[in-house]
Amino acid sequence: MRKKFLVFLVILMIGAISIEAQDLALKGGTVLTITNGIIETGTVVIQKGKIVAIGKDVPIPDGIDVVDVSGKFVMPGIIDSHSHIALTDVNEATDPVTPQIWMWEALDPGSDSIRTTLAGGVTAVKTMHGSANVIGGVNVTIKLKHNRPIEELIIPGVRQQLKMALGENPKRVYGEKGRSPSTRMGSAYVARKAFIEAQEYKAKWDKYEKAKSSGKKDLTAPEKDLKMETLKMVLEKKLTVDCHTYRAEEIVWIIRFCEEFAIDLMQVSHCIDGYKVADVMAEAGVFYGGWVDSWGFKEEAYDGCPYGMQIMYDAGAKMVINSDSPVLGRYLFREAAKVLKYTDIPENEVLKMITLNAAESLELEDRMGSLEKGKDGDIAVFDKHPLDTTSKCLMTIIEGEIFFDYAQQSVTAKGGSR
Amino acid sequence: MKKILLIYFMLILLTVAAKADPADNVILIKNGTIVPIEGGPPVVGDILIENGTISEIGKNIPATAGAEVIDASGKFVYPGLIAVMTAVGVTGYPRAGNDTDEVGTSTPHMDPFDAVNPEDDCIEVTRIGGVTTVHTVSGSRSVINGKSIVLHLGGTLAEEMIARRYVAQVLNMGAIEQNKYPSTRPGVVSFLRSKLNEAKKFAENTSRSQKDSDDLSKRNLEMEALVPVVKGDVPVIFITGNEVTLRNALGLIEDYNLKGIIRAGSGILKYADRIAKANIPVIWAGTESLPQRWEPHDLNYHTAAVLAEKGILFTFDSGGYGLGSRNVRNITTPAAISVAHGLSEREALEALTINAAKILGIANEVGSLEKGKIANAAIWTGSPIQGRSRVEAVIIKGKRIPLTSFQTRLYDKFRKIVDERMERKKK
Repeated sequence: MRKKFLVFLVILMIGAISIEAQDLALKGGTVLTITNGIIETGTVVIQKGKIVAIGKDVPIPDGIDVVDVSGKFVMPGIIDSHSHIALTDVNEATDPVTPQIWMWEALDPGSDSIRTTLAGGVTAVKTMHGSANVIGGVNVTIKLKHNRPIEELIIPGVRQQLKMALGENPKRVYGEKGRSPSTRMGSAYVARKAFIEAQEYKAKWDKYEKAKSSGKKDLTAPEKDLKMETLKMVLEKKLTVDCHTYRAEEIVWIIRFCEEFAIDLMQVSHCIDGYKVADVMAEAGVFYGGWVDSWGFKEEAYDGCPYGMQIMYDAGAKMVINSDSPVLGRYLFREAAKVLKYTDIPENEVLKMITLNAAESLELEDRMGSLEKGKDGDIAVFDKHPLDTTSKCLMTIIEGEIFFDYAQQSVTAKGGSR
Repeated sequence: MKKILLIYFMLILLTVAAKADPADNVILIKNGTIVPIEGGPPVVGDILIENGTISEIGKNIPATAGAEVIDASGKFVYPGLIAVMTAVGVTGYPRAGNDTDEVGTSTPHMDPFDAVNPEDDCIEVTRIGGVTTVHTVSGSRSVINGKSIVLHLGGTLAEEMIARRYVAQVLNMGAIEQNKYPSTRPGVVSFLRSKLNEAKKFAENTSRSQKDSDDLSKRNLEMEALVPVVKGDVPVIFITGNEVTLRNALGLIEDYNLKGIIRAGSGILKYADRIAKANIPVIWAGTESLPQRWEPHDLNYHTAAVLAEKGILFTFDSGGYGLGSRNVRNITTPAAISVAHGLSEREALEALTINAAKILGIANEVGSLEKGKIANAAIWTGSPIQGRSRVEAVIIKGKRIPLTSFQTRLYDKFRKIVDERMERKKK
């Protein structure tokens, strides 16, 4: 267990794993680069898993596999920064504070949810602990390399995110058991108490490490505590936080809480009321993670308002569209299209909400989220513009390897019934 | 004098009432691309709406004095969409409490009309999404759930909104109980057989002695609700979710000669020929269902295309009858997915309009833009199945509906609050 954990940390921190990847060229498609406009009849060349050339008339090296995508649309692989797919377990709902839980230890690379999600043009997801606990487990960001060893799925060298949750879920889970938290005040207390303990724990260890490095002998190491180890990593900014919450007052609360403890809060998930505090979110640089038009599926989600995304956009708040579901995760591009119904946000900015913005929320914008030289060869090919609701994904490519091919893997392509 | 004053006031009131009456509204939609669904191909032209109904469709219809003219140039006029299996009107929660799913295994007498709240926030949200008519059910969690009704989403009182009472009974073939009969699917079947047998016997007894119907001691509201079902006068919607429950529903329809409608979640392809042969309409709810491990990823995405191919009368399930499934406006999503996987756009739009009307038995009134039908229509910037298409005007029973909802009001409120706060911070 300890050894596995250390191996994971090595992957996490150093990112020194080399994976065999393929070379591939996509020729003749309409390329939606996200960062550099649209290239008509463009070509994308991938070598050793990275994009090495992109443009209208770029030469294709000899011997490289070429896929003709004439008349098709080529976009960066879709990224879902709030998912629960590919996990055998989601919620360690036995205690409101469980930062000792690491979701990579529930990761199932053979999960059928990876196959179905790939078919929606998705190449990477952050797959998460559930929302039963105020402080849940550490999420894991993966590429959807179906059926490969987990070392190939887990994206190396990136800060993973600790899941936190406020609102009705922890209140319900523990309130029903006659335990705290059963109120929002209780949840706030639970979070604060845990991080104060972590500060003390960190101070103890810092003192010990300092003494040790100054050459002092006969030192006794403080006792290891797995919960505190994770929270210490959060305080040391080796991990960041994604907090599940719906209501405006809680969104502001978690932003201020993270400021108080100098924690890097990356995303507020679900974020139904985000538009009400769009300016506060923009100022904090926290990502809105949520759906486009969901509302009222529970009381705290009542004020969902699709028009609100315009307020967020105008305030300069950063937004990503998430699935939180294996069903919606198969067509995030259709969810995104609805932004055009309810707001005047430009198309390319809408596409960013399922690509570049999501990459940025995961601190992976140098590797993913747009089609640029030097970035990973993670690509989705669509038959029509991906914001056309009647479009479908034809091919999903991760680091130059084809992981989904509509022509091979669909009943419709094989003629169906008609 | 007092009397004269009273009469005077009454007259004023009457004229005000007459003015407010939607029947007096005349609306002329000009130069839109009219997609009538039935009665002809799309044409660019005008629609004249008088007294709540479509009185003329054609080119260059002159505007009469006082008519409200809507310029639809470059826009598309579609019949109002019809959503089946919703809880619109009865999910006042959290403001009025949830009124779906009465307790009990057999509650055929529950009537959602008794719970319709014209202020339900779902109504405005749904209609400004282009859905003008909904089929609302009393619940789905019991074996015998209750009656279902059709509402037009215009009006301020339940009685103004109601289009049809008791359009169908709703049974759930998979509604097994915990530690209580019926706790298995075969148990559900035999529970239903007993109830249907009882209803048949009750129907025979009451028809033999008509006088008894006045005898209050002989009244039985549960059985009375099932009598039109066993007589084949009122259709039955069978909620099924897999092959077993679907097969059991087909068995009951055949054995009891019921006017059955199948709401299917999955497992329907194997039975499609049998369903087509028996002319059983289908409410297809499985488009977005995840495939089984061994199934192609797009099997359910493709199923609507197969249903159309087999000539089965089908519509899409709105998924809007569980508490919290309030996005009946997204009934266009399964349609769009199906179009991406083999259904034609025309078939998809038929499913959301005329097919739903046929299944509910209201096709002579709504479901298409044709002369003489109730004027339920929406003007769109594009096809309703395109996620980006916007609704620019909604007309229900000949009356133009304001494009507002609690969500547009929230937008207005917080647009102001956020903008003002940002201004203050700048200073």
